[in-house]
Amino acid sequence: MNNNLRLRIAEMVKRSGEGHIPSSYSIVDLLDHLYGKVLRVRPQEPKWQGRDFFILSKGHGCGALYAVLAKYGFLQEKDLLDYGTSKGILGGHPDMTTVPGIEASTGSLGHGFPTAVGVALGLRIQRRNNRVFALLGDGECHEGTIWESANIAANLQLGNLCAIVDWNGSAAQLMPVDDLPAKWKAFGWEVRIIDGHSAQEMAECFAGILFAARDKPKVVIAKTIKGKGVSFAEGHGKWHHRVPTDAEMEAIRLELS
Amino acid sequence: MKKLRQQFADTMLELGTQDPRLVVLVGDISHGILQPFAKACPDRYYNIGICEPSIVNVAAGLNKVGLIPVVHTIAPFITERAYEQIKLDFGYQMLSTSIVSVGGAFDYVQLGCSHHCYADVSLLCHLKRGVVILPGSPIEFAKLFKETYANGLINYFRLPEKPHGVEISSDDIQFSRGIRIREGRDVTIAVIGTQLATALAAADQLAAQGVSAEVLYFHTIKPFDADLLRASVTKTRRFVTVEELSAHDGLYNLCLRACVGLNNVSAAQIAIEDFVHGYGTYEELCARIGMSPEGIRQTSLALTRKAA
Repeated sequence: MNNNLRLRIAEMVKRSGEGHIPSSYSIVDLLDHLYGKVLRVRPQEPKWQGRDFFILSKGHGCGALYAVLAKYGFLQEKDLLDYGTSKGILGGHPDMTTVPGIEASTGSLGHGFPTAVGVALGLRIQRRNNRVFALLGDGECHEGTIWESANIAANLQLGNLCAIVDWNGSAAQLMPVDDLPAKWKAFGWEVRIIDGHSAQEMAECFAGILFAARDKPKVVIAKTIKGKGVSFAEGHGKWHHRVPTDAEMEAIRLELS
Repeated sequence: MKKLRQQFADTMLELGTQDPRLVVLVGDISHGILQPFAKACPDRYYNIGICEPSIVNVAAGLNKVGLIPVVHTIAPFITERAYEQIKLDFGYQMLSTSIVSVGGAFDYVQLGCSHHCYADVSLLCHLKRGVVILPGSPIEFAKLFKETYANGLINYFRLPEKPHGVEISSDDIQFSRGIRIREGRDVTIAVIGTQLATALAAADQLAAQGVSAEVLYFHTIKPFDADLLRASVTKTRRFVTVEELSAHDGLYNLCLRACVGLNNVSAAQIAIEDFVHGYGTYEELCARIGMSPEGIRQTSLALTRKAA
């Protein structure tokens, strides 16, 4: 549980009046693990040719990504303070044209993951060893392009590609896509299921994941809790796109302290 | 005259063997004629499948790592269906590709309206970094593709099923420049694609009636050669556009904008207002919407009489 990161996310949203707190809280532990222990990246050289590519396909969870990018040195403190303002570079969805470390401008769901498939194919054409990670929402899995691209990646045997699905139950609110693991397996992917808030399970899962079954793309289906860490923001409902009041912000601080 | 699609395949082979960045993605069409390219560049040819939006996304990913993707399939599916992918994943993200379509307008007349595409050119023109080229002969495609494919922009090529058949010298084919095919003084006929031949036939008929028509041919819609159009209309004071495009945003619009500030100009448009229902031949559908020598003659004549 990364309470400090969660607090920074809430502060950004409170300051700017914009953001998706619960969608960020469900993925912030995953992102911290990826950037801290898995991805081969150079924060001071974001376009380093040897880097692993990470694409946040569920772009509305960008608060978590910004906080993590700042923690690992891609962004400055000032960037977080200027989030959502005209003088800043960070907005309500990731923008690859302005933000160091952002590989794809996402927001409209169903775009980032298919682009990651293209990146993985391109790297293979160029015979490069970089790896590609894309984080999707389970609600995003309503989009047809997710399954088009899952098909493409399996058909092209893109073993350098790893999708991570934030299985926080959003999809089930409208149109369940369960049994999600069975669907990915049926599309020809190697499937792993973990607790997306457990450091131990993340470590076990991602250690060497891309070196097994090299001719298959991998998907890590991470069971998560939307709003995880702040009891009254957990689950589905009004907190999806809510800006905390002063009193609520104080309550968030208390729970995360 | 060689088919445009064959020229596309030939150009891919020629460029693909020279430029290791070129990657061709198709949506299950032209698979046969692209085999020479596929054999010469086996790791740079992919018949991805029938999933056009994702093909565009995959192309964006390829460009992101420095490759130059060429996407090829049927116009309505790769432009109208996949427009959000083109807009966001190439436009917003400042990436580059060349989209090469067939089946624009009602080239696939016998397949019905599901395979018609009238808005592709308009949609691509909306992108600030969009380049829109409508080659009407093989030499135009070969020359303009080679000149643009590595320009870092979003290039759209609409290949007509039927070349216009008019001989144009290579020297006259310049990116973003229109071509004065026939000089005249009474009315300007501005035309794109296959309809060049129709416009020239109409000009012959008008000449027989004592009306001198100037025929301007535009293979590049964006950027548009406004100077050529304006110079012509300054002389004729009348123009007719003939365009296998949506009537609501295409060549007519570009010509009107080119004429801003000119007084006493009258204009008419022969374009596609709505779905052109029906089967038969391409020429039959053209005639139904006035895109025939007789239709152009009548429209032009009406303009000359109205102005008189």
